[in-house]
Parts: sequence; structure tokens; C-alpha cells
Amino acid sequence: MLIELPEQCTQGAIENLWRKNRKAVKGLKAADSLSLDADRVQFLDGTGEAFVIALYRASAKQGFAIQCRDAQGVVARTLEQFDPARFAESSPGQFVRKRGTKLLVQLGESAVGLWNDMVDEFAHFGATVVALLRLLFSPHRLRWRDFWLNFERAGMDALPITMLVGFLIGLILAFMSAASLKQFGVEIYVADLICIGLFRELGPIITGIILTGRSGSAFAAELGTMKVNEEIDALTTFGLSPTEFLTLPRVLAATFVMPTLTIFSILSGLVGGAFVLLSMDIPAVAYCQHIAGSLSLNNALFGLGKSMVFGFLIGQVGCTQGLRTGRTADAVGRAATASVVGSLVLITIFDGGFAVLAYFMGF
Amino acid sequence: MNQAVITVTDLTAGYGKPILNHVSFEVREGEIFVILGGSGCGKSTILKHIIGLQPPLSGEIRILGDRIFGGDAAEAQRARRHFGVMYQSGALFGSMTLLENVCVPLESFTALPPDARRLLALMKLEQVGLKEYATFFPAEISGGMRKRAAIARSLALSPQILFLDEPSAGLDPITSAELDRLILRLRDEQRMTVVMVTHELPSIYAVADRCVMLDREAAGMIATGVPSELRDNPPSEKVRAFFNREPERKKTTDEVMK
Repeated sequence: MLIELPEQCTQGAIENLWRKNRKAVKGLKAADSLSLDADRVQFLDGTGEAFVIALYRASAKQGFAIQCRDAQGVVARTLEQFDPARFAESSPGQFVRKRGTKLLVQLGESAVGLWNDMVDEFAHFGATVVALLRLLFSPHRLRWRDFWLNFERAGMDALPITMLVGFLIGLILAFMSAASLKQFGVEIYVADLICIGLFRELGPIITGIILTGRSGSAFAAELGTMKVNEEIDALTTFGLSPTEFLTLPRVLAATFVMPTLTIFSILSGLVGGAFVLLSMDIPAVAYCQHIAGSLSLNNALFGLGKSMVFGFLIGQVGCTQGLRTGRTADAVGRAATASVVGSLVLITIFDGGFAVLAYFMGF
Repeated sequence: MNQAVITVTDLTAGYGKPILNHVSFEVREGEIFVILGGSGCGKSTILKHIIGLQPPLSGEIRILGDRIFGGDAAEAQRARRHFGVMYQSGALFGSMTLLENVCVPLESFTALPPDARRLLALMKLEQVGLKEYATFFPAEISGGMRKRAAIARSLALSPQILFLDEPSAGLDPITSAELDRLILRLRDEQRMTVVMVTHELPSIYAVADRCVMLDREAAGMIATGVPSELRDNPPSEKVRAFFNREPERKKTTDEVMK
């Protein structure tokens, strides 16, 4: 078998040569020989060098001989620089990093990871509570500018999307329940249903989901990037507490912005419900009377209090995940994801807790 | 004299407002050319213009005759295939091993079979002394190793020109010297043209054939030539101060009054 190297052994020429001769070289046996004509070669680039090494590697593995004509000495130089024996793979996957691990190991690692997460979450939660208590006695410790900035970003900037979603939820809820209640001629009670539903459950939950996706993940990504850039380390070496400096303004902003956004979300939902009922010839006065009749101070305070707790959880989880980020770019992405998942799980668990609490307190 | 592979003509560099005006120079085939100057003088900005990350405010840049800005998309793509770039931080993909990092351009721009791509990538890692670390992730190796791995990745497609942004920054003297030797080997063995942006004087003396010096106050080039000649016969006070690592001589009261 003869392989003739061209004058300019660059990528395009070598690619063709490689594809053309690949099978034939693989088929060579110990008794065979290969003639490699490199006499004309003027320039051998990286691809050309790799081709030469591949031939000599195959020769060592399959046992065939190579007779090389190398007037310019390019093959000799390549062999001198790259010893083919060093590129012989002892196993097909020698240079592949195994990413997957055994199921049992994965389970164990997940369990340990979950435990560490919980311990970390509690530690950060404790640090936030201590910082909050300190703040009660010296409010000047809070970075008020950061607080208002985050309040604006998480609140004012989220107002349009919150109102739109609230409006659509009210619309859908009214439409679906009106269709059933109309059969009994009591579609006016849709107003009561929407009012109680939005104030007690849907308002806080929907706003919580929006704040989680919009701001909780942003807190995690922002603090995570700061960690990657060693800004958190800089704070620590200054003797400043990252919890006081970074976490508190964000957690407090999220805590106080949640009820504000929830009120707007609920009002938009009520307007959405009104659209449906007005289209069913229910008078606006009747709708408003039913809303006023079904709304109690307890329900309103219960919903808004719940939303404050959700806000605190979202801010706390977002900041904790941000501060726990690793040192790489993909770690920031993982922190943002973890903050969203963590917040949603906690909102669901706490909502269940509030439902039980409301039952026993007779709300 | 070798032919010019990069020509920069009457370039105004900057982002929105000019930082450097009327910059013209050429880089010849097979030389190690250094763009140097103090911090904030526009070294990295001019590099960004040359490698096509940021369009210049005016002027023309040709790489082996092709333009990234001012021509059509095919010409720009052709120009980009002539060079490889090593960024200051290495810019390796954190979720991939070193071998996978080097394989990325090979997978996208060659029709080589997978085993050939892997062999070629391993050879590039061997060239920078990192073959044994092929299965490591960037986070698992040192800063100097990351820079060498980034060079291996930029060499994957055997470019004719290699751009290096602050290759020695943050490295210890021994690692920095190793990197210098690697750069010299690339020029001597691969006939590669190397353009470096740096202000590390030991590296400049060790590797540079020619250099251009930029200055923030002058908003342009203040010297061009062989580094050792510029050090021995500085054309201006600024160049002298830079090469002798001395602060600029302060003006006397008389000079100020004049």
C-alpha cells in the first residue's frame, strides 16, 4: 500500500487522505507493509502531523512495517516531537472522563448533598435572623439604598407581568366556575369564589411564583457572580458580613414587595373576573356587593401575611444559593436553578402549613 | 523581508469615543509582534478590533488580505480562519475536559473522524505539556495550565497567526518562562506568526521580534521597533521610562512655568 503526502500537508488535503485510506490502513496485517512517500512535503501542519502519528501508531498496534521516504525530514521531525507510543490508547475510553456514577453512589451523594443543603440553609437562615434582630436596634446598619434599589427591581419592574397574570387568572377562574354555576342560576356567586380564592390562595401563590422566577433567581445569579469574581471574599476580608451587606437588603425588599405585588395581582384578578360576569349580564353593582360581602379583614390579612412569609423565603433562598455558589460559570446557573426549585418547594410546604393553621384557628 | 500578514491602516480605536487615533502598523509572517503600553492605553481594545470582536471607529484591518469589518460575511469568515486567540483568563469551557475543549473547533470546522480528532487534540495538549491532564476539568488545574490549555485549543485548527492577550499575567516567573519558550517553539517549529498583548518586560525581551508601543495620553502609537533597541535608544521620555521601569521624570518648576 502506498500513501503519498502532498506538498502542502494542510487540513483540507489531509482530511481527504485520512478518509480515503482509513479503512485500508485498518485492514493491514503484520505481514503487510506501507510505503509512505513524504519526499515532496514542504509544509506539514498539525493535522498532517496527527496523520503521520496515526499511521505509526497503527503500525505499532497491527504489526505492519512502514517504509518512509522523507527527503525533507518532516516525518522524522514529527516522530521526534511526538512519540507514537505515547499516543497508544490502552483502552478505547482512556482519554474520556467518565461522568456517570453508579446508582447507589448517586443516591448516597444525593442524600449527603441534601443534608448539607439543609444544614447550610439553616445556617444562613440563622445568620439572617440574627442580622435582622441587630437591625431592630440599629436600623442604620441596613444599606437602605440597596434595599430601595431591590424593592424597585423586584417590585415596580415586576408590576406589569404580575398584573397581567393576575388579570388572566381572575378571567380564567371566573369563566370556568361561571360555566358550572350558571346551570344552577347562581353565577353571581362567582364573585365570592374569586374574591376568597384570590385573597387567600391564588394571589399570594401566583405572585410568589412570579417573584421566584424573576427576582429569586436574579438574587442567586447576582450573588453567585460576585462569588466567582471574589467580591464576597473581598467583603469578608474587610470584616463585613455578606449577610448584612448583601442578604438583608434583598430579603427585606422581597418581604415587603410581596404584599404590595399581591394586592395588585388580586385587584387585577378581580377586574378579570368582572369582565366575565359583565359579559354574562351580571350588573357591576351586584358584583361589587358580593365582593364586599365576601371579603373579610381576616381573609385579607391572612393572604397578605402569607405573601410576606413567601417573600422572605424567596429572598432568603435566592441569597443563600447565591452565596453557596461554586467558582465556575456553570455553578452560577446551577445556583439560579436551585433557588427557583427551593423557593417553589418551600412556598408549597408553607402554604400547606398555613392551610392547616387556618383550619385550626377557624379562619 | 517576509510579507505582511496583518496590516492595520489609520485605525481609530475605541468604544463609541476614540481611545487611539491614526494607528498604522504591519505584522510580518513568522515574527513575534508585541503590542505594549501601560494600563488603560488601549492594547486590549486594539486586539479586540483586530480579532473582530469590536468594530473599529475608522480605518482598515486586513488579515492575510481579508477583512473582518468592511467586507462580506465570507471574507470575514475567511479572515477568522487564519488565526487562533488565547484570552487573558483562558476562557476554557468549564463543563468540558481539556481534551473536549480542544476538540470543540475540530468538531465544528473539520471533517476528521472522531478518533483522528481525539489524536490531534491530544497532540496539541502534548505540545503544551498537558497530555496527562487531558481528562481534567479547567477548575481542577492551575492558572498557568489553563493558559497553556487555551493555547492548545487555539492551535487546534493549525492557524497561521496566534493572538495572545496578556499570556504571562498572573503567572509565576518559571511558568511565565515556560510559556515564553512555548511561544518561541511555535514560531520556530510551526512557522507561526504570534501577536502578543502584554506589558511584562521579561517576556517582551525573551520573545518579541518587534513591538509597537501605545500611549494613553498621546492617544496613539509612540514607538515601534525592536524592544532591545527601544530600550537602548528610546525615542522619547515615555518610552525610556517604560523600558527602564521608572516613573516619568517630573517637570521642574521652570519647565512648568515655561
